[in-house]
Amino acid sequence: MNDAYVLSDSEVVLSRARAGDAAALERVYRAYETPVYNLARRICRTVEDAEDVLQETFFEVCRSIGQYRGDGSLWGWVRSIAASKALMRLRRNKYRDTDELDEEFHRPTMKVDGGLRMDLEAALERLPETSRAVVWLHDVEGYTHEEIAGMMGKTVSFSKSQLARAHTRLRRWLGEEEARA
Amino acid sequence: MSHLSLDQLVALREPGAEPGTATAREHLAGCAACQAELRRLEQRVARLKALPALRPARDQWAAVNSRATAARRVRRLRWAAVGGLAAAAALTLVVLQRRTETAQVTTAVAIDDVMARSNQLERVLEAYNPDARVTDGVTARVAGELEDRIAVLDRELNTVQMQDARNRDAALLRLWQERVGLLDALVDVHLTRASNVGF
Repeated sequence: MNDAYVLSDSEVVLSRARAGDAAALERVYRAYETPVYNLARRICRTVEDAEDVLQETFFEVCRSIGQYRGDGSLWGWVRSIAASKALMRLRRNKYRDTDELDEEFHRPTMKVDGGLRMDLEAALERLPETSRAVVWLHDVEGYTHEEIAGMMGKTVSFSKSQLARAHTRLRRWLGEEEARA
Repeated sequence: MSHLSLDQLVALREPGAEPGTATAREHLAGCAACQAELRRLEQRVARLKALPALRPARDQWAAVNSRATAARRVRRLRWAAVGGLAAAAALTLVVLQRRTETAQVTTAVAIDDVMARSNQLERVLEAYNPDARVTDGVTARVAGELEDRIAVLDRELNTVQMQDARNRDAALLRLWQERVGLLDALVDVHLTRASNVGF
């Protein structure tokens, strides 16, 4: 996982944050607020859920920052908490996530070149929750199938098949299907 | 060999060699259509990575900080209160056993009752475990204020234990009753909010 978000003076800030210094903890929050929210919003169904995940994540960061030993990047540590909280939220909400339901309700919104097509943002939004979580964690955040399977409590095969299904749908909804002779 | 499926193309992007990968790579090397499909897949992933970051509409730091501060305070108070209250409770029981006058027994029983109610409410809060839940800013602030007042009461309870026995029981009863009232309010704050958001 690459560390795209860097906290300046991280050693000093971390040391103060571990001692419970509110200003230092706020520095950590400000550094990672947007990427954590973005990850949560890409995985969760609603803005409210994503805001809850943001709050839960940083509450956990404030509570557990003493346990962060600096083995990996701080962003990697914060991100793993955020991903875990977002997936917990998915499990708790127990949204229906069936193919039939999604095919039924997630109709393309725009016609291009005589075919049906939607933009990537809309297509991603319309993926079933589990598929969307897998495609985001794998393709964007850079988690491996093993890591995703561990976080979701599923098998590696499950993660792989969800990724392939997500791409099959994205390809169709984006109008990228081309017949191969 | 027929063209590669999307599953196979997705698998080809993974590090390491899985069963069938070598055959698939061999096909890919000589198939322009599959190469184009793989490029489209890679472009799609690149576009996903390039999507603009979504930002929260509201600043959540005040709520996070308020909750984290309350949690730290509760942890500190628990450690401080455990010793003090255990000693206070033991002392109260010993004193109550030695008292024989009817009025004193009545007060002692009342203190016992109110302490039992206090313990019961503590257990309700413990079972609800507010530390492990998301709390909005208003709830966190109200809960924090109630916890502060309970902490003040606990210190008063410790002080009252040191007073002369003749003055002690009435004060103890009043303080324990006040403590139960505050705990009741704290339980209400947490559980009412929880029922509103459907926990």
